[in-house]
Amino acid sequence: MNRSYVGQSVPRNEDRRLLTGQALFVDDVQLEGMLHVAFLRSDHAHALIRGVDVSAALARPGVAAVYTAEDLGDYWRPGPLLVPPPPVEGLTFNEATQVPLAKEKVFHVGEPIALVVAESRYVAEDALADILVDFEPLGAVVDPEAALAPDAPILHTQFGTNLAAHVVQGHGDYEQAKAEADLVISRRFLYDRGAACALENRAVAARWDPKAEELTVWDTTQAPIPIRNGLARMLGLLESQVHVVAPFVGGGFGPKIMMFYPEEVLIPWVAMKLGQPVKWTEDRQENFYATTQERGQVHDAEIAVTQDGRILGVRDFFLHDTGAYDSYGLTVPINSQCTLLGPYSVPSYHSEFKAVFTNKITVTPVRGAGRQHGVFVMERLLDLAARALGMDPAEIRRRNYLGNEAFPYNHQIIFQDFSPLFYDSGDYLPALETALETIGYDSFREEQRRMREAGRHIGVGVVSYIEGTGIGPYEGARVTIDPSGRVRVATGLGTQGQGHYTAFAQVVAEVLDVDVEQVHVTTGDTREFGWGTGTFASRGAVVAGSACHAAAQAVREKILAMAGRVLEAVEEQIELSDGHVRVRGAPERSLSLGELARMANPLRGAVKPGTEPGLEATAYFGPDRGSTASGVHAMIVEVDPETAMVEIKRYVVVHDCGRLINPMIVEGQVQGGVAQGIGNAFYEKLIFDDSGQLLNASFMDYLLPTALDVPRVEMAHRETPAPMNPLGLKGVGEAGCIPTGAAFAQAVEDALPEYGLEILEIPLSPNRLFSLLEDAHDH
Amino acid sequence: MTIDGEYTFRAPRETVWELLQDPDVLVKALPGAKKLERIGEDRFDGIMRVGVGPVTAAEWSVNVQLKDLVPPESYAMQMEGKSPLGFTRGTGTVTLVAEDEATTRMHYHGDVQLGGKIAGVGQRLLDQVAKLLARQGLEALNREVEARLAR
Repeated sequence: MNRSYVGQSVPRNEDRRLLTGQALFVDDVQLEGMLHVAFLRSDHAHALIRGVDVSAALARPGVAAVYTAEDLGDYWRPGPLLVPPPPVEGLTFNEATQVPLAKEKVFHVGEPIALVVAESRYVAEDALADILVDFEPLGAVVDPEAALAPDAPILHTQFGTNLAAHVVQGHGDYEQAKAEADLVISRRFLYDRGAACALENRAVAARWDPKAEELTVWDTTQAPIPIRNGLARMLGLLESQVHVVAPFVGGGFGPKIMMFYPEEVLIPWVAMKLGQPVKWTEDRQENFYATTQERGQVHDAEIAVTQDGRILGVRDFFLHDTGAYDSYGLTVPINSQCTLLGPYSVPSYHSEFKAVFTNKITVTPVRGAGRQHGVFVMERLLDLAARALGMDPAEIRRRNYLGNEAFPYNHQIIFQDFSPLFYDSGDYLPALETALETIGYDSFREEQRRMREAGRHIGVGVVSYIEGTGIGPYEGARVTIDPSGRVRVATGLGTQGQGHYTAFAQVVAEVLDVDVEQVHVTTGDTREFGWGTGTFASRGAVVAGSACHAAAQAVREKILAMAGRVLEAVEEQIELSDGHVRVRGAPERSLSLGELARMANPLRGAVKPGTEPGLEATAYFGPDRGSTASGVHAMIVEVDPETAMVEIKRYVVVHDCGRLINPMIVEGQVQGGVAQGIGNAFYEKLIFDDSGQLLNASFMDYLLPTALDVPRVEMAHRETPAPMNPLGLKGVGEAGCIPTGAAFAQAVEDALPEYGLEILEIPLSPNRLFSLLEDAHDH
Repeated sequence: MTIDGEYTFRAPRETVWELLQDPDVLVKALPGAKKLERIGEDRFDGIMRVGVGPVTAAEWSVNVQLKDLVPPESYAMQMEGKSPLGFTRGTGTVTLVAEDEATTRMHYHGDVQLGGKIAGVGQRLLDQVAKLLARQGLEALNREVEARLAR
């Protein structure tokens, strides 16, 4: 191989189409005779439905159809359980999955009850106002603790409780650790809800072609292949009759891996029922009610340490708010439970959680997917222990990192991929030292003192995290040499802005030694590639990237074998470079890859028995276990104690996602993640009232951080190769947002030492920080 | 949401009481009221057009049930409203105190729950809007009372 593409910041192949407005998004799909759908959504968080009268809506001019749960007949059934509970002994799990349209009861504000199909979205929206629903309101469950009170209203009455799950995991003997400890710190930590706020909302368009007997669905999903498979099953079609396209998608962040959303089940059904193409595009307000959310947890956690700051054990009891349904299983709370352990040696761990149903929008993973909570609890406990011991926060971390000799390390608890929580590799201490050095930790105290004399309050926060990434089960890829000489790559993932068209092209270009721009990648089209699971858990590059690598290797072998035959040389003498095959030492005996591809697909003549046509190969990659990324975030903040405003002055991320494919793309991922993390730490919070009404369902009241609030992240890459895949890759999709809240809390406390502040909750806001400062002042 | 307040009418208590029971008067006084009719003893149905801040005005169908009437001193009410923007439900009490023969002091108290879009988008402004609507309505009623007394 003459060239190296893996590891280079090559410009992104997809940007030309994106930046010139030529990229197809679902809402761009316009088909002749297309009808438009609007959903009638519940205004109540918890209510019985006594009746739905759609007669006035049906009579409105321009309305083609109106459907309620009754009209769906046998098609009405609860959605699948997307992730079954992991095999943890003694686990309780009560399964309640979403339905296409609410029939007898609504469980959260925004749950769909009816849909109107009309000639335009305007008419459809107007017709929603014609529908009369007779509700009998019920008491709502909003607070996760109150959900388990004996007199709480019950959502899913078949269980007789709001308990969705109960899981206990751990290792070692915490009670003994506690007995031996010099210091035990115990606190309650709160983490509240936010929204993913992808730039593009969800959208589904569908067309049934009765002559081809084929259904085409355009969907903003992160998992086009499982959507195809599920639709085929539900609609009684062959998988080959259903074609799902997830074209360019403007941000996924997790909620778009949830399936099946009611709209995904219903739009294709309507298209088949009416024989006309149908489209629904979620509006921003709907997004607040109809797209899944994350993050409500309450932790009662305790850490036992020695006098010199070594962790002896951690105990954590927590409540996880799963919202109205638990269709995504236990991925989020299991991630919290596992990620809490961080990069540390924790000799004893007892972790017990209860997931509870509440009358709020369903919780499924949102970037970080429960990891934030675990990191927040652990990092805060370490900070509190360090403070009590008079130890520097960086020092207590240093003393507890797993050493390099520890890997592979088995935590003896079960992770979200159902295997033991197993760290494949890591190198933690140098990342911390790099972060400290980059942010100028040693000289910071001096600067802090100088600033204090000038009446200004600055503080520093430094925290660590690990991120389980790149889990199975598998992804696949097909690599084909096109007769034009360009290379086609198809994989089953969906793409939501991660740069797959470039990263996968780099992996293939390196193996085949062609220009990256000559590699054309297709993702998210089930006709192009029909096997796969989806884009989630920071696994795209690791799992699909490794499959691309394997397929490209297989094509390379085919190229060399064929070139040997055609050029009449032994394979070892064939050189593959710059899109050509040549005989070593005889450069005139050369063919372009395009010529070779044409010869591999002859129209006449005979080929050797067993020969496959073309230069093409398909390969799959399924890791036994994920690969463990890690990192350190450090930030400097300035706090104005009068106004409680916080300005982030500097933000440093030192992360280790194994070998980098494209540093520029990785930096983009981290920068974007940090922006979401900052939103989560100080701006974004979904506020529900006592009756389960969402009170800030618009960008007027739900605060997103702006470019002014998010500094340019200073980054350093460390590359500890993953042993579990051939390229040594680890995921990086969530690294930017996981430890941000913990770093923010530490930095704010550090800026105001005289307050003795303990920040035990996220998200904060200027208002909330102001009242915490008032309380601290009063004590 | 709780709405509390007081208002002083320049009229005898009996006159104020009568006005408050008269849908033809109330429909003129209540901001955005399009229709109000008595559909049973102490039961009213109406249509109001109300928006809040960024939320475009929509038609609300409203049902009010008066209870515990102690003429001319006090009554309670139960109210429900529905619109494409959401729903509202609440209870309220109204007490009339005769300050003197020509002055009546009204105390009002309401506990109102809102749901749907109106709660999600208008929340920040609801308190202010509710207070403003109450005040506008009462001022309009007072004008009606004064006009009636002047006749």
